[in-house]
Amino acid sequence: MQINLQSNQSAFGELELATGEIISDCYQCGKCTAGCPASMDPSPSVLIHFLQLGLFDKAVNSESIWNCMGCLTCSERCPKNVSPAAIVEGLKRIHLNNLQPRVILHALGQEFLANSTQQAVVSGFRKFV
Amino acid sequence: MPENLTHVPYYPGCSLKTKALGYERSAMDCAKTLGFEMHEIATWNCCGASYPLTKDNLMGLAAPTNILVEAEQHCNERQIDAQLITLCSFCYNALKRTDFAFKEDSAKLETLNAFLERKYQGSVKVLHYLEYLRDVIGFDNLAKLVKRDMSNIRVAPYYGCLLLKPKKEIGLDDPEEPVILHDFLEAIGCQVIDFPGQVDCCGSYLIMRNPEKVLELSHNILQEANDYGAQALVTACPLCQSNLDQSEGERHGSDHFLGVQGMPIFYFTQLLAVALGLDTEQHQFEKHCIDPKSVLSACLDDDVGESQ
Repeated sequence: MQINLQSNQSAFGELELATGEIISDCYQCGKCTAGCPASMDPSPSVLIHFLQLGLFDKAVNSESIWNCMGCLTCSERCPKNVSPAAIVEGLKRIHLNNLQPRVILHALGQEFLANSTQQAVVSGFRKFV
Repeated sequence: MPENLTHVPYYPGCSLKTKALGYERSAMDCAKTLGFEMHEIATWNCCGASYPLTKDNLMGLAAPTNILVEAEQHCNERQIDAQLITLCSFCYNALKRTDFAFKEDSAKLETLNAFLERKYQGSVKVLHYLEYLRDVIGFDNLAKLVKRDMSNIRVAPYYGCLLLKPKKEIGLDDPEEPVILHDFLEAIGCQVIDFPGQVDCCGSYLIMRNPEKVLELSHNILQEANDYGAQALVTACPLCQSNLDQSEGERHGSDHFLGVQGMPIFYFTQLLAVALGLDTEQHQFEKHCIDPKSVLSACLDDDVGESQ
């Protein structure tokens, strides 16, 4: 994998600015990962480690970010007041801003949508489209 | 029934008008017995369901701000305390966090006011129905109004995520070891089952992308509650209710749910209505995938009703 340090630094800076998180504050204790119900792989702490190492592309292209459901267990337990959930959402938004939806809502089918709870559909629009 | 009902402005949200109609109806019926009336604010819009986690996403605050400004206007016109009661955990979370964001950074409020061409003053106190029961009615007083003997049902409280987190912004209860639903269930006379999965995530909106994962997470919660001896779960969130209930309904009887004998998932207000001796015909128990009748029969086999 090629790492363009300069562009990665600006992407890293943008991510910090967008999320309001200080990624370097994380000292890799792994509490977020231990509590993650989505069993994300790469896990929240590993994703943050990628970012700390300048491996921005590796973090942003990790499929696991799409399994986060924003339960905030990680953010609540972080002893350094970092919100991994916010960082993951920031990474997702980089994809979505490039118009790459992760769920094609109309492809889910009328029956599925009719049986869905409305707040899940609205959240689906917010987080995956 | 008290004669002068306190007027409390109410924000329903999308699920309460559709999938979770039984939640709304039972909450409104109970309110009248408890001395307050929930008045829906006339012009409400969707809250956006999930609050944006990235701090620069002010667009995500536009919808909840519009709701807060409508509520503020509703209260000002009637010269009543500026408050807004909610039922759904998602709505509660979005509205309360929006309010917190403005208290922390007034520049955000100015930006949103300019964008919406509204003038929100930031006066509205966002309340959850449970919070109102605990802090305004009081669980001790609630216990005195209970008409039915609920002591034959073993209920486990299930909190989920957004009702409690993040603690700094929501502040309703401790997110790791909450007690509010325990205290509520004790007040209405149920046997309360404490189980570790009470604050685990049910899978939430991942149902739109990865239903298998939701099934797995929901199953773990149900299985654990069952292992600890619960007959039913009680929740405050329409999405938790449907994820748990539908997962169970889909897999009931298969290997995945071996050992779980049809555990109904109640809205806490549905159980409250039963405990208060209200007529529950309109509370949509029949819409649940897992029929709650068998569990409820332990306390419904009497003739306590509205007449008492």
